[in-house]
Parts: sequence; structure tokens; C-alpha cells
Amino acid sequence: MATLDRHDWYDLARTTNWTPTFVTEDELFPPELSGSMGLSMPAWEVYDEPYKQTYHEYVKVQREKDAGAYSVKAALERSKMFETADPGWLSVMKSHYGAIARAEYSASTAEARMARFGKAPGMRNMATLGMMDEIRHGQIQLFFPHEHCPKDRQFDWAHKAYDTNEWAAIAARHMFDNMMTTRGAVGVALMLTFAFETGFTNMQFLGLAADAAEAGDWTFSNLISSIQTDESRHAQIGAPLVSVLVANGKKAEAQKMVDIGIWRAWKLFSVLTGPIMDYYTPLEHRKQSFKEFMQEWIVTQFERALIDLGLDTPWYWDQFLQEIDSQHHGMHLGVWYWRPTVWWDPAAGVTPEERDWLEEKYPGWNATWGKNWDVITDNLLAGKRELTYPETLPVVCNMCQLPINQTPGPAWKVRDFPLDYKDRTYHFCSEGCKWCFEEEPERYAGHLSLVDRFLAGMIQPMNLEGALKYMSLAPGEIGDDAHAYAWVEKFRAAYTKNTA
Amino acid sequence: MALFPLTSNFQEDFVLQLLAVDTDNTMDEVAAAAAYHSVGRRVAARPGHIMRVRRQGSEKPFPRTMKLNDAGLKPMECIEVVWEAP
Repeated sequence: MATLDRHDWYDLARTTNWTPTFVTEDELFPPELSGSMGLSMPAWEVYDEPYKQTYHEYVKVQREKDAGAYSVKAALERSKMFETADPGWLSVMKSHYGAIARAEYSASTAEARMARFGKAPGMRNMATLGMMDEIRHGQIQLFFPHEHCPKDRQFDWAHKAYDTNEWAAIAARHMFDNMMTTRGAVGVALMLTFAFETGFTNMQFLGLAADAAEAGDWTFSNLISSIQTDESRHAQIGAPLVSVLVANGKKAEAQKMVDIGIWRAWKLFSVLTGPIMDYYTPLEHRKQSFKEFMQEWIVTQFERALIDLGLDTPWYWDQFLQEIDSQHHGMHLGVWYWRPTVWWDPAAGVTPEERDWLEEKYPGWNATWGKNWDVITDNLLAGKRELTYPETLPVVCNMCQLPINQTPGPAWKVRDFPLDYKDRTYHFCSEGCKWCFEEEPERYAGHLSLVDRFLAGMIQPMNLEGALKYMSLAPGEIGDDAHAYAWVEKFRAAYTKNTA
Repeated sequence: MALFPLTSNFQEDFVLQLLAVDTDNTMDEVAAAAAYHSVGRRVAARPGHIMRVRRQGSEKPFPRTMKLNDAGLKPMECIEVVWEAP
């Protein structure tokens, strides 16, 4: 049976639409679910996605991708990757899978929202494929870590994390639910596909793939590169939508949603991707620093995309550029210090060599976070490990749900950003998070951070044991230093000399 | 005599921390409680120095003997705990 050439029928098929007669347009596309801002159907019909694919092509290409990813995995199953990898690298995998696998599956709901409630036919088509992409991403990122579950219980968190009240899982759910599961089709397109996928996911999936290849973890490198090829297609759902909105007098609305999406994505990346790239990835395998990856993917490429589409850089851009230098260092220190509360073993990443690298990439690091690490290192050398474990909670931001932290040491810039709304005082880590709240306060007002819950007596007993129970962290899953503190010995000679 | 939560911002530390103190505590006692979670953990001790408590944004610290109950602080309000040279 002869098939038509794609160009003979594609444009006709993808613009096929209909005018409802049995129901109203609003009944077919409820405004809250489509998020279409009152734009007419003809306005939406000019939507033109840059990356086009037929279902026939999709099935063929995706099958090849899966065959490639799964065969590499099968071939390397006999390798001693797990046994010989640096423990810091295993922590990269555990934190990645736990934070991301179920979130991908959740994203298929978001894509489905666009597939059903997007008013632009081209958007509905691309989102149908995107929905299948995200199902793939959820499944493959559950299957791949599964082989390690018998060896290490922390890998079970690839599936378990999203069902727990572990603090990083709360932060991930708050962000992803805000950006994708609780938005109309337009909101999803702007926040998920445009703000998050076009810019940030390249960091975790391509930047990290480069480090993985350096580390010799071909299974993981190949997997996340393969995933990102899907992303490159469905991430482009959002950009043509921006053009439609800007052309129809909705630039301010589009800008606001993009600005919220970028800020929310940024904070999550600062706690997940930042520590992974600058501290957990073994020094010899770091292709670039987190800041360098951010400069390449976000500041250069994404900023250009924003301008090209007729949007402005977000109002907080200067603050954001400053934070790229600093935020993830505090997130890393916080995750390491509060390591019993995470499902992976953080690598400290602060041997003398690593500190030299950090100083080179972030001049001033030793005079800031380095000062905090000096005290920690001295405690470990003196056999006072108990002083390196926490005895209280950090205060977390009521938006990003992450510890409120800024530059320490003599330059000390730490501060709270409080806000009174109705009968409650909220605490934020930054002007950006506070602004997100102020833009849509009723969306967030009822949420309780982990600290709010603790103060309300929801975590019992009111100590670390109670907190770990609340977070569903069991023995065998509770995090500790990835290298069992062996790195401290690199400071022993100098310490012995100084204290002699 | 009641439990009172504050947000502790200790000088040269990197993070805000939950501080559980008592309304009857003096500011010196509040400072010591804050120090427990920062000094000798991530901030070097300063022998001979005193620690003072001030509300975030204020330059003037509270009097050392003032009771928390009389300071007019709200629950979880952020206090800065700063070193003062002898």
C-alpha cells in the first residue's frame, strides 16, 4: 500500500479543527482548563510549531530510541559500574531518579491537559506526542534504577520519593504541581514547556550527560541524552504560543507566567543540579562548573529565545545572575549538613583539591562557604562528628520549600523576606519567591511548609527521630557522607602540624 | 513562661534556623540558644566576645537583660545574633 508523502497531507491534518454546534466553545474548552485568555479560535489557529512529526514517524523514531537506550543498558548490566563508581556518582543517580522519575509521569498529565484543552490544533497534536514522551520518561527512569534496588535501598526512592513528605520531595511536588498539574493548557505551555523545558532541563539532561560520559557511566549518559531528544521536540510547544499571545495583546500575561516558571525552576535546579555538578561529580569528571553550564544554557541561549519571541528578560534577571554564583553552594552545604533528611549520601566535595577548583570557578568561595566548611572539617578531624549533625530545622521558604540561605562568612548576607497576608506571616528566601506568592496569593496561602507543620505539632515526636519518621526515611535509606568521611584525612597532616 | 519559636540568623552562618526558646529567657539566653546551633558547628567561636540579639533590619540590639516577652517580637520573626567585641 503506497503512503502519501508527508508534505502532501501534514499541514491539512494538523490544522484540522471544528466549530462546535451541539455545545458552546466554552463548554468544549472551559476557560480555566484551556487558559486561553479570551482569545478567539482563529487567533489560535495560526499557531505553528517548529518541530513537526507524524504519529507514524513518532512510533518509528521512538522505537529506535528505546531500542538504543535499553540495549546499552543490557550490554552494561554485567559491568561493575555500581561496584566501582565513586560513591558521589551513585548519589548523583539516586538524587536524580528520586526527584525526577515520578515527576516525569506527572508531566504526562500536564501534556494531556494541552492535548485536550489546547485551542490550537497544532498544539494538541504535539502535546499528544509529548504526553507519550513523558510516559516514556517516567517508565524508563523507573526501570533503569530498578536493577540497583537489591543492592541499595536508597534506589527504591526513585519510586518512593514522590509519595513521601521528605523535604526535597515536598519542594519538587510544590514546584511541579504549581507549574504543570494545576494550570490550564496555556499555563502548562508557558511554564512547563517554555520556561522549564526549553532552558533548564538541558542542564540536568545534557550538562549532566557530559559529566556522566566523563565518569564512564554510559548507561546513564545515554539514557538522559535519549530523554532529552524527546524534550527538544515537545519543549517547542510553548514558543509559538508566546508569539500568539504577544500578537494578541497578551504580552504582560505571558511574561508573568514565564517569569514565575523560570524563578520556580531556578530554585529547584539550585538544590538538585548545582550540588550534583559542583560537588558530587568527581573532580576529574567535571566538564564544566554549574555556573558555566548555566551561563551557556540559560543566560546565553534562553535569554536570546525570550527576546526573539518578543518578551523581556524577567524583572529579577540581575538578581538571578548574582544567584547563579552563590545559591547552590548554600543549598549543597545545607543538604550535606542535614544529610540524614535526604535519601542519598551527599558527597562533601571539599577536599583541598576540590576547594582549589571551587575557588578557581567561584573566586571568594574559601572566604564564604569555605569558612563554614573549615569549622565542619576541624570538627571531623578532632573526632567531633556529632557537631556536624543538625539539632534543629532550617527555616524553609514558603514558596520554594528550601532552606533560606545566602552568602556566609565575613560578607554575611543572610536574611529573611517576610510577608504578612491575611492572618499569617510567610517567610521567603528571596524577592523572587515572595513575588511569586504576591502574584497569586490564594493559590499558595493554605500550604504549610515542613517548618509550619512542625510548629503546628504535626511532626511527632518533635525531634530528628520524629522528623525522619514523618519523612518516611528508614534505616538503610537515611543519608550520610558519601565517602564515610575518608576525605577528611586529606587535611590530617596540616591539622596535626597546626595543633601540635 | 511559654515556648516561643524564632528564626535565628547567626552572624556569618549561611542559613536561617528554627530556634525554640522561652518567653522568660533573657536576650543573653536567646543568644546562647542561637549559638548552640551555629557556633562550633559552622561558625568559629570568638573568645571574649559577647553575642547580641537584634531584630532583622535594626542596627540597635536589644538590652542583654531584656526578657523575650518584653521585646515585642512575633513568633518566627527573624532575629540577627551578632558578635560584639569586648
